[in-house]
Amino acid sequence: MQKSDLLKKLQDIVGNERVSASAAELYCYSCDASQVRGMPDFVIRPANTEQISKIVSLANEKEIPVTARGAGTGLAGGAVPVEGGIVLDMSSMNRILEMDLGNLQVTIEPGIVQEKLNDALEPYGFFFPPDPGSSAMCTLGGLIANNGSGMRSVKYGTTRNYVLGLEVVMADGTVVNTGTKVTKSVAGYSLTDLFVGSEGTLGIITKATLKVRALPKERSVLLASFEDPEHAGEAVVKVLSSGIVPSACEILDRNIIEAINTYDPHIGLPKAGAILMFEVDGTENTVREGIEMIKDACSTLATSIRAASDKKERDEIWAARRLVGAAVSRLDPLRTRVYVGEDIGVPIKELPGMLHKVGEISKEFKLPIMTYGHIGDGNLHTGMCIDMLSDKEWDKLTKAADKIHLTAISIGGTVTAEHGVGSARAEYLGLELGKGLDVMILIKNALDPKGILNPGKMGV
Amino acid sequence: MNDSDMRSILKCVRCGTCRSVCPVFDVIGWESASSRGRMLVAHGLSQGMEADEGVFDSINTCTTCGLCEQMCPSGASPVKVIEDVRHQLVLQGKMTDAQKLLRTDAIEKGNPLGEEKDRMAWLGDSKNDVPEKADHVFFAGCLASYRYPELTKRTFDILRKFGVTVLQEEVCCGSPLLRTGSDPSELMSKNLEQIRKIGAHTIITGCAGCFTTLKNDYPDNIEVVHVAEFLADRLAEMDLKKLDLKVTYHDPCHLGRCNGVFDAPRQIIKSICYLEEMKSNREKSKCCGAGGGVLKGYPELSLELSKNRLEEIPKDVDYLVTACPLCRTNLKRGGPRVDVLDIIDLLEMAME
Ligand SMILES: Cc1cc2nc3c(=O)[nH]c(=O)nc-3n(C[C@H](O)[C@H](O)[C@H](O)COP(=O)(O)OP(=O)(O)OC[C@H]3O[C@@H](n4cnc5c(N)ncnc54)[C@H](O)[C@@H]3O)c2cc1C
Repeated sequence: MQKSDLLKKLQDIVGNERVSASAAELYCYSCDASQVRGMPDFVIRPANTEQISKIVSLANEKEIPVTARGAGTGLAGGAVPVEGGIVLDMSSMNRILEMDLGNLQVTIEPGIVQEKLNDALEPYGFFFPPDPGSSAMCTLGGLIANNGSGMRSVKYGTTRNYVLGLEVVMADGTVVNTGTKVTKSVAGYSLTDLFVGSEGTLGIITKATLKVRALPKERSVLLASFEDPEHAGEAVVKVLSSGIVPSACEILDRNIIEAINTYDPHIGLPKAGAILMFEVDGTENTVREGIEMIKDACSTLATSIRAASDKKERDEIWAARRLVGAAVSRLDPLRTRVYVGEDIGVPIKELPGMLHKVGEISKEFKLPIMTYGHIGDGNLHTGMCIDMLSDKEWDKLTKAADKIHLTAISIGGTVTAEHGVGSARAEYLGLELGKGLDVMILIKNALDPKGILNPGKMGV
Repeated sequence: MNDSDMRSILKCVRCGTCRSVCPVFDVIGWESASSRGRMLVAHGLSQGMEADEGVFDSINTCTTCGLCEQMCPSGASPVKVIEDVRHQLVLQGKMTDAQKLLRTDAIEKGNPLGEEKDRMAWLGDSKNDVPEKADHVFFAGCLASYRYPELTKRTFDILRKFGVTVLQEEVCCGSPLLRTGSDPSELMSKNLEQIRKIGAHTIITGCAGCFTTLKNDYPDNIEVVHVAEFLADRLAEMDLKKLDLKVTYHDPCHLGRCNGVFDAPRQIIKSICYLEEMKSNREKSKCCGAGGGVLKGYPELSLELSKNRLEEIPKDVDYLVTACPLCRTNLKRGGPRVDVLDIIDLLEMAME
């Protein structure tokens, strides 16, 4: 089919204003926040499920790839159309359809931004807990498709824990509903769980019913400084095994501390080899008790411990922490943060060892590696900044990232704890999953026999 | 593309923070209308992408409000890149009709409004009665001169008590040309020549666009202050009475965020009445939607931006005060619940 005929058909489905094939627009949708690139033929901003069903059905008939996209903040190329075709920008389907707070749930369209949902819930005293660093930008659709999580996952878990049901457009255009409004149901295979984390390769999510939680009454933040990341890693193991569940447990290494202080100078984090940022939430009593227990657990390992003085300081610290991954680019005018090899997860007991290994890899490749992340659930972000115009540095970065990935797998870890596989990490999936990947391929072939949904991703 | 722009584009990690704050993206919704998208389009152009309508709309819908730059975690400078791309395209003869008209009018008629009448008419009878030499000179600006002549006269009447004069043959400061990619040097020389003749060391202006241009693009041996700054320093000499009013204040982007003038207008307001801040204010304040050539080139978009800004007016205020005639014009277009005043209007109410 000629491109112009296809454009006409797509315009018939969504109207002229909702489809673009302009060079500028296509270029803008050829990447996300990763290094993956792929040029789409069309970008569509659908308005409803019916339009998506028609688009996907047409694409299936003509064997044209369809890639869903939320806000394009993904760090693995998930939303990049590596085989061309249609990009479905879901961000204009961004309504809250129902706030059923008596049942502790909301039903939303997938294009809503995480923070916007929480802004709407806050006046009622509720929140949607998974909070990635990108919460001001990323969509719920992207979070569900990637099973994203964030700083509070050590206590509240990942997005998967909050998805009760989905409306999904399948590869042939059929619309199915999964799950139930009941928090417990064992009726059949958990299709909801199959689509959560499927990165747009099995279906397009058009609606979601999500669990929400009551906002905690109190929060308190504690900063513990250490000589080096390894000591911090040991402290994390100690804290978590002491019985307390912090609502956040983040590590910042020396460079990251400097990056935060550069981004927002009046935060003034203490200089240290590493800092652990703990947050405890709950009632006034549980928070006080939790903070004391963390202080105790860290006392022999930390060089100093201090609490954030008030809500303002606490909010500022979190705001800066959220964006620090990008803010490390500020440390050197000629270098830019490149999100490659940035999302490993290891069992928590292996943390000190992994942190040590990262230090060695940094030395081996003479490449500064900055470490931060949700250390409470074993998730480390290893940040590398390079001169984007230097082939030599790209080469070092790729090799260092490969070594980081292989090391994580070798100690029972994962190449991606939350950012997703996309095409950036697809090559490691066989090694990490073994025969599990074959089962994934069987599922993919059964649900999308023509391979039109986000091809080139997840190793399927 | 120059090295510093390419470096700035490479700094962008495409995290999308700008998407979450860009007022234009909020209305349009397509990626090419966010700063991240515009940086990509700029990159595309450097790789040989053709400058078609899609490129124009991406590059020219930015109001240059700078909120993206303020919030950008990685330290990129999208506004500079966008203005440079506009300039490069104009050099190649590639521009929209709106850009062309703006340029022709500014250069041939001395103002981008296309006005042919006497620019200095606002001075009325005082025309032949202004000092030829002075330390301070008032730069009225195009919009104030032609659209708000009475306000401009009243502003000058306050200023002249402090020995301030005017440029008898003032022309456009060049801001609209700079923002939309054209060369303003001819206009700038005309103004500079007169400033030098008068012997002034300080220019005073009441327009945010003129302010940022005079301050950052004219030779740096001339000091530039906003009317609000000049008068905030002289409040004690002005015998103001307190008013039983509650007002809110819109920070013009090119005065506040881009040049750090936040306190002087607030100081004036607080010396007169009660100030309640808009939802977003100071460094994070939202754009009125008029800047960067958007009001001229994309009036409907500009109107939507204005309406969105007006939604941030707090309940129960009597006026929305601002310190720029362009902001005022566009905020009025948006159909505000309360009247929009220039800071001088408020000051005068307290002087009566
Ligand atoms: C500064 C920064 C900090 C970050 N911090 C975190 C963090 O702390 N934790 C974390 O988990 N992630 C983090 N991320 C990564 C990213 O924000 C998440 O992966 C997020 O979930 C992506 O959402 P998005 O809307 O941008 O999706 P996109 O990037 O647009 O898409 C992501 C994937 O979801 C699929 N998809 C999107 N919408 C749908 C839909 N409706 N139906 C089916 N598939 C769909 C896409 O095809 C793609 O595979 C961060 C990113 C940045 C830039």
